[in-house]
Amino acid sequence: MLQHFDPNKDYGTPASLSEKMVTLEIDGVEVTVPEGTSVMRAAALHDINIPKLCASDNLEAYGSCRICAVQIEGRRGTPASCTTPVDAGMKVTTQNDKLAKLRRNIMELYISDHPLDCLTCPANGDCELQDMAGAVGLREVRYGFDGENHLDSQKDHSNPYFTFDPSKCIVCSRCVRACGEVQGTFALTIDGRGFDSKVAAGQDEQFLDSECVSCGACVQACPTSTLMEKSVIDMGVPEHSVTTTCAYCGVGCSFKAEMKGDQLVRMVPAKEGDANHGHSCVKGRFAFGYATHKDRIKAPMIRDSIDQPWKEVSWEEAIGFAAKRLKDIQAQYGRESIGGITSSRCTNEETYLVQKLIRAAFGNNNTDTCARVCHSPTGYGLKQTLGESAGTQTFDSVMFSDCILVIGANPTDAHPVFGSLMRRRLREGASLIVTDPREIDLLSTPHLGDATHLPLRPGTNVAMVNALAHVVVTEGYEDKEFIASRCEGDAYAKWREFIIEERHAPENVEEITGVKAEKVREAARKFATAKNASIYYGLGVTEHSQGSTTVMGIANLALATGNMGREGVGVNPLRGQNNVQGSCDMGSFPHELPGYQHVSDAVARARFEKVWGVKLDDEPGLRIPNMFDAALSGEFRAMYVQGEDIAQSDPNTQHVEAALSALDCLIVQDIFLNETAKFAHVLLPGSTFLEKNGTFTNAERRINRVRKVMAPVAGKEDWEVTVDLANALGYPMNYSHPSEIMDEIASLTPSFANVSYDALEEHGSLQWPCNDEFPMGSPIMHTESFPIGDEGKALFAVTEFVPTTERANSRFPLLLTTGRILSQYNVGAQTRRTDNQAWHDEDILELHPHDAEERGIKTGDWLGITSRAGQTVLRARVAERMQPGVVYTTFHHPGSGANVITTNNSDWATNCPEYKVTAVQVEKVSQPSEWQKNFQDNHERQYEFLRGSASSADAVK
Amino acid sequence: MFHTEEESIVTMINHIAQNNVSAGSESEVADIVENHITKFWSRRMKKILAEQLANGTEEFEPAAKLAAERLSAKMSASA
Ligand code: SF4
Ligand code: SF4
Ligand code: SF4
Ligand code: FES
Repeated sequence: MLQHFDPNKDYGTPASLSEKMVTLEIDGVEVTVPEGTSVMRAAALHDINIPKLCASDNLEAYGSCRICAVQIEGRRGTPASCTTPVDAGMKVTTQNDKLAKLRRNIMELYISDHPLDCLTCPANGDCELQDMAGAVGLREVRYGFDGENHLDSQKDHSNPYFTFDPSKCIVCSRCVRACGEVQGTFALTIDGRGFDSKVAAGQDEQFLDSECVSCGACVQACPTSTLMEKSVIDMGVPEHSVTTTCAYCGVGCSFKAEMKGDQLVRMVPAKEGDANHGHSCVKGRFAFGYATHKDRIKAPMIRDSIDQPWKEVSWEEAIGFAAKRLKDIQAQYGRESIGGITSSRCTNEETYLVQKLIRAAFGNNNTDTCARVCHSPTGYGLKQTLGESAGTQTFDSVMFSDCILVIGANPTDAHPVFGSLMRRRLREGASLIVTDPREIDLLSTPHLGDATHLPLRPGTNVAMVNALAHVVVTEGYEDKEFIASRCEGDAYAKWREFIIEERHAPENVEEITGVKAEKVREAARKFATAKNASIYYGLGVTEHSQGSTTVMGIANLALATGNMGREGVGVNPLRGQNNVQGSCDMGSFPHELPGYQHVSDAVARARFEKVWGVKLDDEPGLRIPNMFDAALSGEFRAMYVQGEDIAQSDPNTQHVEAALSALDCLIVQDIFLNETAKFAHVLLPGSTFLEKNGTFTNAERRINRVRKVMAPVAGKEDWEVTVDLANALGYPMNYSHPSEIMDEIASLTPSFANVSYDALEEHGSLQWPCNDEFPMGSPIMHTESFPIGDEGKALFAVTEFVPTTERANSRFPLLLTTGRILSQYNVGAQTRRTDNQAWHDEDILELHPHDAEERGIKTGDWLGITSRAGQTVLRARVAERMQPGVVYTTFHHPGSGANVITTNNSDWATNCPEYKVTAVQVEKVSQPSEWQKNFQDNHERQYEFLRGSASSADAVK
Repeated sequence: MFHTEEESIVTMINHIAQNNVSAGSESEVADIVENHITKFWSRRMKKILAEQLANGTEEFEPAAKLAAERLSAKMSASA
């Protein structure tokens, strides 16, 4: 009998990974399943559905409700089918009078304790207790309905997204297990015993005050309405769903957008999602309210100058206005006087079109993307060493790692669903090494085994990675066979000579990193001797003046230890935004056409020229910081910015603001009046991920479909706007659906050759390279060779440590480093417009008690933070997890001005800004900074301009 | 932290040279710098670099200077 896996069905217990098959008989049907499968699952796979309450196929079997009892020939009693593994030759009966009676009795007990308000219960129609009562044929309740039903227990409404109604709880403990097994937070417990037992968050706290991170796994697991989305309580149970991809972080979770008509009721992580396997975080599951927020820009707007109110106009007028300005500017100031920025939040198809517009219609290569400010060093460093600008593994690969090295990343906050998976592997016994100035939450993973923290000083990653490699080589831990067969010999010899120099020994590096040499040696040994060791890194690696060097150092370390080309190993950049990988793949950078084909490559250029019908420039264009400089010099005068907020996200805000103010024409396409739009002349309404079709590519190179669930608020999907602009500029673009754009991408990008919407429909998702060589895509890369050089051998790179010039001194004695937190997303434009504000409604400066005491600072004080670039004011939090001398903040709120103080130092190879190191001084103050006061004034003025938009018809003459 | 665009261009080429200082002789380092700039820098950056070199006011690292000279020579040859 064929076994189709139906993602909408709950098979009761997790799949067994065993390859050994076992044959048994269930209700007279012969079934064959992998050894270790439960009787319940084996039956469910053959459509024999045994009633269940406490079992769910994303949780280990627990065996508490007993409603799943079966009879097994030759065994006594009625064992629970969820906790009983199959045996060869077993004969199971799932249905007879005895079992039916037993199940009814159990159900009767549950129901006698349960309020019988089914008709008015929010879970009505979506309640497993109700379903099971039906399934077991419950007709009477002999014990009456006045059991211990906890009807007087208080509901907990504290979480903004779900309620906890203890009166409905059947104490199945699915929530407790989901919080532990799936999410890894262990926030819930069962308090008390027997009829008195109840679910409690933390130390019997309100959910919001407890450890709970609001991932929603417990809500999804709960078979009753005890834990219930508030949106379902308000709107009722959804009636249809569309599968799509989360538009927040680089994990790229798949979701079912569950709808009622055109209203989104809830987002449920899709079990069949290859990146998330049915799990999610608070952002993807709950923070979608921004899509219908009143601040959405609903109509195109134009104005002559940024001191004028907006004028609401038709699409035709806005596009015509923008096109005319662009053409006039080019006529006057030359072909290279305009450019644009693609977005890592938009789809691959949209990003592709924006860079095509720039290269083909603007006629220059002045295209860049926000990856410039996050992962451009990944692109550079991995291309130089491994030949491809991408991570080498799947997320699931971490489940095969024995030692996990995390450098400059904070997965439990920034990549939460992957953070949960990593925690699961850590609970299973993998060892952990964290290289980070802060004691990140991964280090406090419940049930964590062997863990080492190397708390290095900000800006010393290269020295640390070199020291680790030095130990590997000098203590004889190199994988000589791997190096000989898979790496290029000369580059290796050169690197080896460099790395064995005494100056890289942990003892000599200690002074630079501040980490004890012996600890570094132990960590290196642990990494090198693990069967499978993997490296995960984030922006704490890239956003430095030596970001690219660290990325190459990471690749060296993986190559030297032979940790490449199989499950459980590899180099894994944790990408920030949902489509950073995609926007880089799609040719957003000024020097590369889609698929990382250099603009100077005549063969590649010729292919594009043929399809695009124009001559392409063979010189790299301007990068974002160059655009700003050129704008200030008057040579660069117009910009098209799709879905990016450079005025908030880029460093040295005052410099950025001056550059944006100097432009003659700034066209911003966004869902809100973001910080950049305050400097714009044309504001084009953007569409959210819920309003369009397309694809995103996540951090594991996985191309996943984005599907439209509702109409765009202003009538156009983002790609349609770019098409209109191109046509208005006289460059014809003709697409009727994003699938046609993908077909063009596939025809021009060798690594995407076999990607199409039909293929994605068929396979769910595909990891590039996906072409004739890898027709099913490539979950793990570089298994046999590297796409580099003639021989396909990886290149070791010499990684000199050059300290940043941004140093602490007596004027700026502290080092500021910046980062992210779980509930807010990047510049916060989306999450600040949701109830996620409940967790983080302002950016705070964290500092060590020692530094606080020296300055007489207490938690809650207002602090002036001054750097060489500027000054801002934030509130203080005194925190032990900081190192003395290092302070930390986030940049989710524009008024905080965190980037007013970051400098324009940048990575030597890519100009990725050095967000992670700024020398600062902090002192107590009583009022906001000058910049903040101006910001507030301008904010109010620009919103006033927006409000007056419809009525101010004379703003544009 | 640098201030003018001209300063930043020179800082950047020096920075590339410094980060590749262990790649070999001055000429070998200059090769890397030259390749890097050819591959990643825009026309405008290359032009400012040539101007700064001609000005002689900014301080170049030796390998950076060598690379800048080679790039300038190529630019004037193709101009
Ligand atoms: S929402 Fe997530 S973290 Fe919070 S209690 Fe439920 S499972 Fe645990
Ligand atoms: S809250 Fe829901 S999942 Fe948790 S024990 Fe009660 S009924 Fe089960
Ligand atoms: S982990 Fe990332 S992709 Fe997944 S739900 Fe959260 S924000 Fe979305
Ligand atoms: S479902 Fe098996 S014991 Fe509850």
